[in-house]
Amino acid sequence: MSTIQEQMRTRARELLTSGEVKMVVGWEKGALWYMSPPAFITDPAEVDRLVWDEFCHNNLAKYLLDYKFSDDRLAIFVKGCDARGIIRLLQDKQIEREKVYLIGINCPGLKDERQGAVLGEDKRAELPLAARCQGCRHPAPVVYDELLQDEGTAAKGEVAATAEDRFTATAEVEAMSPDERYAFWTNHYDRCLRCYACRNVCPACNCRECIFDRSQSGWCGKQMNRSENMFFAITRAMHVAGRCIECGECERVCPEGIPIMTLNNKIIKEINTLFGDYEAGLDPEAMPPLGKYKLDDPEEFL
Amino acid sequence: MLKISKDQIGELLNIWAKGAKVFVPQENGGTSQFKAWEGQGKLTLGEGNALEPPKDLFFPRTETMYRYRVRDPEASLEELAPLEEKRVLVGVRSCDARSFAIMDDVFLTKGYIDEFYRQRRENTAVVALACTTAQPTCFCTSFGIDPGRAEGVDLQMWPLADSYLLEAITPAGKDLLEQAAALLTEAADEKVPAAAQPSLTADVGGVTEKLQQMFEHPYWEAVSRKCIGCGACTYLCPTCHCFDIQSENRGDSGYKFRCWDSCMFSEYTRMAGGHQPRPSKKERLRNRFLHKLQYFPERYGKFACVGCGRCLDRCPVSMDITRVVREVKEVTL
Ligand code: SF4
Ligand code: SF4
Ligand code: SF4
Ligand code: SF4
Ligand code: SF4
Repeated sequence: MSTIQEQMRTRARELLTSGEVKMVVGWEKGALWYMSPPAFITDPAEVDRLVWDEFCHNNLAKYLLDYKFSDDRLAIFVKGCDARGIIRLLQDKQIEREKVYLIGINCPGLKDERQGAVLGEDKRAELPLAARCQGCRHPAPVVYDELLQDEGTAAKGEVAATAEDRFTATAEVEAMSPDERYAFWTNHYDRCLRCYACRNVCPACNCRECIFDRSQSGWCGKQMNRSENMFFAITRAMHVAGRCIECGECERVCPEGIPIMTLNNKIIKEINTLFGDYEAGLDPEAMPPLGKYKLDDPEEFL
Repeated sequence: MLKISKDQIGELLNIWAKGAKVFVPQENGGTSQFKAWEGQGKLTLGEGNALEPPKDLFFPRTETMYRYRVRDPEASLEELAPLEEKRVLVGVRSCDARSFAIMDDVFLTKGYIDEFYRQRRENTAVVALACTTAQPTCFCTSFGIDPGRAEGVDLQMWPLADSYLLEAITPAGKDLLEQAAALLTEAADEKVPAAAQPSLTADVGGVTEKLQQMFEHPYWEAVSRKCIGCGACTYLCPTCHCFDIQSENRGDSGYKFRCWDSCMFSEYTRMAGGHQPRPSKKERLRNRFLHKLQYFPERYGKFACVGCGRCLDRCPVSMDITRVVREVKEVTL
């Protein structure tokens, strides 16, 4: 059987040539060996740009919002986290299932690109698993129209992490004193550039108009200072509460290396405690805990 | 030429810190930033540039411009004290040194002088540090920048195995060396190390002329598809200088501030009434590249890119300006 990458190109060519889809969204090689950014292919002659390697990080689901008002059908490749992003967007009524053709890939876990930049290509084989993949519990896509098979890596796509692994960093911060915790978060968010890469890459951030794009509203000022930055951080975390699919893309793309997932995971942990275990982006029928009302919901604060 | 042992760099900074506030790249939460030197800290003067460019020190992310108070029927303005703090900026790489010349064009020429910028710039001495190793994303040499010797600085340093060589360029640089005379020795045999040789390149010759004919080209649609419209590239760019001016009111008083802005944002250029002349990422990304490679050269005769590679390094989708230059030159009109 051919490699995932060969199958990707073959299927992309077939889908484009037959006219079943107008565009295929996958990944291609970037400027450097440790970069595999998104690629948008419309011409069957260009399918050989597509690659599948250990740096195909970008969650492609979010791009479907760019084509929300187009009648064209698209095909996109989905790893475990991309597929959860699809469920997120379907559940939030952002996309129509019929307009997207999903090609699933069992993900073996991707590698840390920043370490790639530091260590150099000689060490490519030794690169650690990316932080966002270390706690991944659903590397196999939960939704797809077809699944690419790779005999060579048949064992991949299996869950390596336990449910608790992803809360390790959060537990460390919980163990701090309030002053230490304040110092921890302010030191990180003082660096925040308010570039909104975390928001823009996030499949759960799909509001038509974001509160942070309305600086004249008086909600969140445009000043980059501690007060506004913290307001931004907490507000975004609360806005994705119960809907965050734990793809870790926000933290990966943050240019300032802010541990955003430590905050997101804190909220996930609290929600699990209050409302019972829930994982977003797995089951389109399972309502997010904060999006539904139950008579026996905890209400200690009332 | 003079030299100083690397072990003594902390003492050198302490001496300079007596007469000025010293800013030097230091480790901060896993990144490297120009931070005030307070006698200790983890210096990041080894390989590679600071993640954040030093532009923040001349053109802060956010700064107050004046305060006001309105109590009907009276209104009053309060000007801020002049910015008199003396500063020494240590460890500036050649690419960032060029960016200062670009920012000077914006804030100090063509009949307009930005007082905030001018005061900070005039009160700051710049100590450059030569690069002997390039990062994979560096391409400064494509803009005629020499990583081994910076332009327009007061003092140049070169790293050796366990010492630094120093050469004063201006009287201010000479003064810095005199302050530190007790720590410096004459470099007898040491030679200036070879400059870094970036492997990434961009052949920018002719790109402005090509871009002048490409405003409506379908290329912009294609190249912008992957862009997520964040501000990472512009905020980390040493030459991006767009800002917004807003006010913050509390009761009957408030202040005007300016803060960085980015042409990649949906709010940028949005007009009263809601019209947005750059409605999608196609127009926004196009503006970013046209500003760097066409508008700035047209207005100031130089590119507004110094090849520091920060945008490529930190862009969530690895948008590569060297590839854009190459493709722009290749596309058919
Ligand atoms: S990506 Fe990082 S720096 Fe940018 S807004 Fe988000 S937290 Fe701040
Ligand atoms: S908040 Fe972060 S981890 Fe959660 S869905 Fe958004 S990008 Fe993914
Ligand atoms: S080019 Fe990259 S860094 Fe810049 S706005 Fe687009 S995605 Fe963000
Ligand atoms: S455009 Fe990119 S490479 Fe050029 S100066 Fe700005 S950040 Fe550096
Ligand atoms: S771009 Fe050139 S001057 Fe700047 S850090 Fe890299 S090698 Fe040094």
